[in-house]
Amino acid sequence: MIETAGHLPGLPAGEVAWRTLEFSAWGEHVQVRVPELTTAQAGALAGHVRENARSYLRTLPVCQIVTTLDAAIARLLDRDDPWRRRAEAVLPIVTGYDRESVRLGLSGSLRSFRAPQLQRFLAEDFANPAVLDGFQPAMKGGFTRAQGPQLLLHIWAGNVPGLSLWSLICGLLVKAGTVGKVASAEPLLAGWFAQILAEIDPRLGECLAVVWWQGGDAEAERAWLDEADTIVAYGGNDALAAIRARVPVTARFLPHGHRIGFGLIGAEALDTRRAGPLARLVAQDVARWEQQGCYSPQMLFVARGGAVSPREFAERVSQELGALGLRHPRRALSVAEAAGLAAWRSREEMRGFDEDGTVVLGEAGDGWSVVCSEVARPLAPSALNRTLKIVAVDSPDAVPPLVSSARAYLQTAAVAASPRELFRIAALLGEAGVTRICGFGAMAAPEAGWHNDGRFNLLDLVRLTEIEQSAERAADGFADYVD
Amino acid sequence: MTFHDRVILVTGASRGIGAAIAKAFAAEGGLVFVNYRSSEAAALAVVEACRAAGGQAVAIAADVTDPEAVAAMLARIAEEAGRLDAVVNNAFAPYVFDPDRRARFWETPWASYQAQVDGALKATYNVCQAALPLMRRRGRGAIVNMATDLVARPSLAYHDYTTAKAALIGFSRTLATELGPLGLRVNCVAPGLVWPTDASARTPEAVREMLIAQTPLGRIATPEDVTGPVLFLASEASGFVTGQTLHVDGGLVMA
Repeated sequence: MIETAGHLPGLPAGEVAWRTLEFSAWGEHVQVRVPELTTAQAGALAGHVRENARSYLRTLPVCQIVTTLDAAIARLLDRDDPWRRRAEAVLPIVTGYDRESVRLGLSGSLRSFRAPQLQRFLAEDFANPAVLDGFQPAMKGGFTRAQGPQLLLHIWAGNVPGLSLWSLICGLLVKAGTVGKVASAEPLLAGWFAQILAEIDPRLGECLAVVWWQGGDAEAERAWLDEADTIVAYGGNDALAAIRARVPVTARFLPHGHRIGFGLIGAEALDTRRAGPLARLVAQDVARWEQQGCYSPQMLFVARGGAVSPREFAERVSQELGALGLRHPRRALSVAEAAGLAAWRSREEMRGFDEDGTVVLGEAGDGWSVVCSEVARPLAPSALNRTLKIVAVDSPDAVPPLVSSARAYLQTAAVAASPRELFRIAALLGEAGVTRICGFGAMAAPEAGWHNDGRFNLLDLVRLTEIEQSAERAADGFADYVD
Repeated sequence: MTFHDRVILVTGASRGIGAAIAKAFAAEGGLVFVNYRSSEAAALAVVEACRAAGGQAVAIAADVTDPEAVAAMLARIAEEAGRLDAVVNNAFAPYVFDPDRRARFWETPWASYQAQVDGALKATYNVCQAALPLMRRRGRGAIVNMATDLVARPSLAYHDYTTAKAALIGFSRTLATELGPLGLRVNCVAPGLVWPTDASARTPEAVREMLIAQTPLGRIATPEDVTGPVLFLASEASGFVTGQTLHVDGGLVMA
């Protein structure tokens, strides 16, 4: 099987150099051709996208962009559509996630981008989304219009299918000429989406490009960084720091670094009836995308004092992970991942030998690992790939101090607690640095319009042009109907 | 070798069905703890037979109706083996299956019921309570409780014995419901009359012939007939089976 990644409007494919990336999983193999553009080609492509966005995308009312995006998403949600069938066939091989996980996960995340959800995105950031189409009266007086970047560059990372769509769609909603650099680990979906948009509205297809370069290739990267006026980048802090160092000082840089998600369960959620279903939801959050997402849980704080102890809850989560593994087997681990996981396990086992109450549940051959610690431990990364540390705490109040040292990495926390407790704990967690609090089972499915990393998805991209009252008043004086 | 590196506790394993079960686990490579109450010599002979069959075995004394003795037995298993994969609750209170001299209901004092409930139910309760911490750690494992087909088909009215075993089946189903979410399975094996054992020695030829006549497979169970179903329910081969009662009586009971 051979697939071609990217979307290069205006560049004849025959003039582009292609590199082949190899992917194998589930007994199948796929070759993905990715474009390697010269600096001149990158410049030409940037000019093409910028010019088409200026002459076409910016003239479209935002509601029409929503309609087109909705139509493209509908095709990816339609299981009989050739694009959808292709995604279901190829993405499991490229990413290693099992077919059912890809199928369910794709539908789960695509649902966030249908027309009503896109309107929610807009409403979340703009009291009046028409501000994207023209000048609108401002509360303070005068008029305001919001303009997206002329050329917005996305640098995506990781292999979670569909993650690229969040920022890609945000850029199009603010009418930005858009260039996305796909990650080598999942180079396909963003390009497919661009091609679907081009099928629905060929002129819109000229306003965005999907490219690739080898991560860390400074020359290729600089060619693009010099073209863009806004850059959204995902990745580890080292990669982001390297990019930031090359971003022109006049450009806006919006980094999204690695995150550690966690969960918190209050004693009131741990009665004998509700602990079981809760454990199932925890296991689903852990298994979804093998914890590769920024929102995935890596640690779970469980309060003592409920009918079900933290240790028993850990056993229930283990069992649920085992059962889930039969339906959705863990993807094959790389040698490095397997070694990292084994090292994490043996470190925890050593802790257990020190008799500090740490217990490693299950066996090394299991497709999951759960560690239960009776000693309060600060938030720390797990080995990913269905590994979870469950930490017993005397009360939810013990948790904020345990997570605050990871402040720079906090984002999502799932909380199971009574309403009064939820709001009390949310205040403490927010102070500690958490930006998203959700229910268990929803960690990997942020709601439409969420504020990624606590920031404004759309507002952060735009620049406002304001007509002050003085200009308006002065203009009145120059009207041909002036008395 | 289904039970290679696996640790199994068989209660009441110094003779009869229990001894046959212990030997069968050993033949599949298991490390078997051969529990007995007082028949040390018989237990040691079973241990020898287990080793000869290719497995490992340890004789371990404990009166399973005594919670403290059971706790001490499980502490020793934890120390010596560090894990427990399967428990077969086979021990039961002494009982003689003698159809000619059985006590009819109006001749059966509550004390007889109590003795059988203690032997079947309380003993199993004690062992399960003590074994669970060790079994839960691995998040998998199986408990097999020995019942009787008399619960489904009381061919002869052994009131106290059958009632206690019926309670054991209810106990097992309920425990299966509780332990399923923790990865542990609980099932029962319900043999028909097994001959020869010490308990069935007094069952006369005529009664055996009567049972044989009504049994599709046309014979009486041997202790070895019981071992296959027990090993099956203790192994991963039955990984999605819990709360069941498997009748081993040649088809006398079909349910």
